[in-house]
Amino acid sequence: MRLILQDRSALSTGHRQKVKLILVLVLFWFVIIGVRLLELQVLEHKKLKAEVLEQSQDLITVLPTRGTIFDRNGKILARSLPAASVFFSPVKGDSLEQQVQSIHRLKNLLDLKEQEIRKILNSIEKRKRFTWIKRKISLELAEKIRSLKLPGVYLLEENRRFYPHGQLAAHVLGGVNVDDFGLAGVEYYYNSLLRGEEGQQLIMKDARKREFFIETIKETKPGQDLYLTLDSTIQYIAEKELQRAVEKHQANWGTIIISLPQTGEILAMASYPSYDPNNFPPPENVMPNRAIQHTYEPGSTVKMVTAAAARELGQIDWNTHYDCSQGYLVFGGTMVRDHVRLGVLSFSQVFIQSSNVGTIKIAERIGPENIFQMFRAFRFGEKTGIDLPGEEAGIFHPLEKWRKSSLRVAIGYEISVTPIQMLQTLNVFATGGYLIRPRVRLEKPSPLTGTITAALEPPAGSQLILRPETVRGLVDLVLQPAVEVGTGREACLPGYLMAGKTGTAQKYDPELRTYSNKKHVASFAGFVPARQPLISMVVVIDEPRGQFHYGGQVAAPVFREVARKVLLYLNQAPQKLPENLILAKKETSIGGVTD
Amino acid sequence: MSMVRKKFSWKQLALGAGLAVLFLGNLTFYIWYQSESVRLGYRIHELEMKVEKLQEEIKRLETRKEALLSLERIDRVARNELQLQDPKPDQVIFEKQVVK
Repeated sequence: MRLILQDRSALSTGHRQKVKLILVLVLFWFVIIGVRLLELQVLEHKKLKAEVLEQSQDLITVLPTRGTIFDRNGKILARSLPAASVFFSPVKGDSLEQQVQSIHRLKNLLDLKEQEIRKILNSIEKRKRFTWIKRKISLELAEKIRSLKLPGVYLLEENRRFYPHGQLAAHVLGGVNVDDFGLAGVEYYYNSLLRGEEGQQLIMKDARKREFFIETIKETKPGQDLYLTLDSTIQYIAEKELQRAVEKHQANWGTIIISLPQTGEILAMASYPSYDPNNFPPPENVMPNRAIQHTYEPGSTVKMVTAAAARELGQIDWNTHYDCSQGYLVFGGTMVRDHVRLGVLSFSQVFIQSSNVGTIKIAERIGPENIFQMFRAFRFGEKTGIDLPGEEAGIFHPLEKWRKSSLRVAIGYEISVTPIQMLQTLNVFATGGYLIRPRVRLEKPSPLTGTITAALEPPAGSQLILRPETVRGLVDLVLQPAVEVGTGREACLPGYLMAGKTGTAQKYDPELRTYSNKKHVASFAGFVPARQPLISMVVVIDEPRGQFHYGGQVAAPVFREVARKVLLYLNQAPQKLPENLILAKKETSIGGVTD
Repeated sequence: MSMVRKKFSWKQLALGAGLAVLFLGNLTFYIWYQSESVRLGYRIHELEMKVEKLQEEIKRLETRKEALLSLERIDRVARNELQLQDPKPDQVIFEKQVVK
C-alpha cells in the first residue's frame, strides 16, 4: 500500500519537529549499529571469528585403527580395540589441594602405585598443563571415572593392542609401545602397513555443543590387516614341546622352526623362554627371537652341505670307504674326534653315523675351494632375508682368511649360523635343490590359504643350487638312513619316511679359550615325508645339562613328538603301517552288524 | 494530511497474494528444510556413532571369543577339568589310510 503525502504544508510545526526528532533518533540508532558492526566485522573480526569457530567447530585428528594380524587360517593373533586414557589438566581457580585430592580419589580405581602417584603429583606441582594418569584402560573403567566428574580429570579415546592367545607366537608378533608403534617382530617390520594414516575431521556443533555435522577434511587410512604364514595350532604344538624339552634338559634356551619347504612359508617359529606381548616390553633375556637372532656353531647338521659338495663338486663315489677306526684325527693343529670308534665307513655311512673323522677326510679330498664354493652357494654368512627385523647373518669367513683348520667348516665348526639359515639349508634338500627365502607374511590370503599341502613347484625367485639327482641320492642314501639307522633314530616316527641330520656342537668357552666339554648345542634338522615333504623342521637346544647332550638324544625326540602331532593335525596318514598296528576290519552284513 | 487509497484490481490483488503465498511457502520450506537437515544431521550422527560402537563391540567379542578358544586354555581345561589325555599312537585310526 502506498501513502501519498497530499499537502506538505499541511503539517504543523509541532509535527515537523517530532518527525525530525524521530529521524535523528533513527539516524543515531543506525550510526550506533554501524559503529558496532564496524567493530565486530572489521576491528575485532579475527578474534571473534576464532571464538566463533572454537565454539561451533572442532578440528580433530582421527587416529587410524591399527590393522589386525591373522594366522593363515584367519585366527586373530593381534587386534586393536578401543580403550581410554586418563589425563589431568588443572582447572583455573582450583587449589593445589583440590587437584591432589582428585588424583588420590583415582588411586584405588586405577590401581596406581605410590611411584606413579608421586610422578603425577610432581608434575602437578610444577604446574604442567598436561599429565598422563593412566594409559589404555578399559571402557568400563573409563565410564566409572567419567561418572565421578572429578575436576581436571579427562578421558581420551585411544586404541589398545590385544594378543588374545597370550604368549603364542610372541617372538614373531613382537609388540607395540604405548603409542601403538611396532617395536619388534612383524609389528615392527610391517609397522607402516599396519599403522595406517591419520585423518582430520571438522565437527560442527550447535549452541548446546551437540555435534550435528561432521566434515572429513582428510580421510583416515586404517591400517591394513596382515595375514601370516603361521598356523596357530602348529605354533602351539611347537611351543609346548619346546618348553617341555628345555625344562626337561635344564637348557638355557631352545628354538623350533617349522616350514612348508616348497614355498618357504614358516608354519611355526617358537623360542623359549618366551613372553606375553600383552605386557610389552618383556625382560631383555627373553626378548630376542633366537630363531633368527642367535648364531651358533651348528656341528654335524651342516655335514649335509659337505656331502652335497662331495657329490656335486668333488665327484666322490658312493662306494669310496674311509678308515675311521682310530676314532680321532689330528688336523690343522686341532684334534677331531668321533663320539665312538666307527671302523671303516662308506661315503654314506660317514654321514649316517656322523663321523667327524670321515667327514674331514672327505673334505680334505675335495679341497677347501670346493667346500667354500658349496657353503657360499648355500648363502652362509648372509641373511636369509626373512621378513622379520634383527636377523643375524652369522659368520662364514672368506676363503682368503682360511687357515688349515678352517676346513672344520665341513663338520660345523669355524662357522656360525642362525637356526633360520639351517632351515633354509635343509629346505634345499627337501625341495630337490632350490634355495628359497623363508617368509612369514602370506602374500595372497584367500579362503583356501589355510590349506597345507605339499606344493609341487618352488616359488618364483627361488634358485636351483644343487642338481635334483644329487639331492635325490643324498636324501635316499644319507638323510633318510640317518633317521632310520643312524644318529637320528630317536627322530624316527613309525609309519613315516623321514629324512634328517643330527648335530652336536661343543661351545667355545671364552674363559678357558677352548671348546668346552660340558657345554653343547644339540640340534636336529629334518623333514617329513622324505619324498614330497609336507613339513621341514629345525630344533635347537642350547646347553642341555641333564643326562644327555647329543642332538640325537635331546633334539631328535623333540622333532619326533612335534612331527607326530603336526602330522596328526594335518590328517597325514602314515605311508607304511607300523608293524605292531592292529587294523580293525570293517564289514557290513545284511543285518547291518559291523565288526 | 489526507490520504487516499489507491484502488487495485482483483487481478493485481490475486497476483500479489499469490506472490506472497509463494514467498511465504518458499520461506517455510527453506526453514523446514534447514531444520530438517539439522535434525537429520543429529540422527545420522547418532546412528553413525551407534554403528561404530556396534562394530567395535563385534570386534571386542570376536577377540574375546578368540581368547576363550585359545589352545592354551582348551588344553588346560581338557587336561585339568575334563581329565583328557593325548591319544596313544595305536589309538589313532586314519580314515584315508591306504593299506597295501
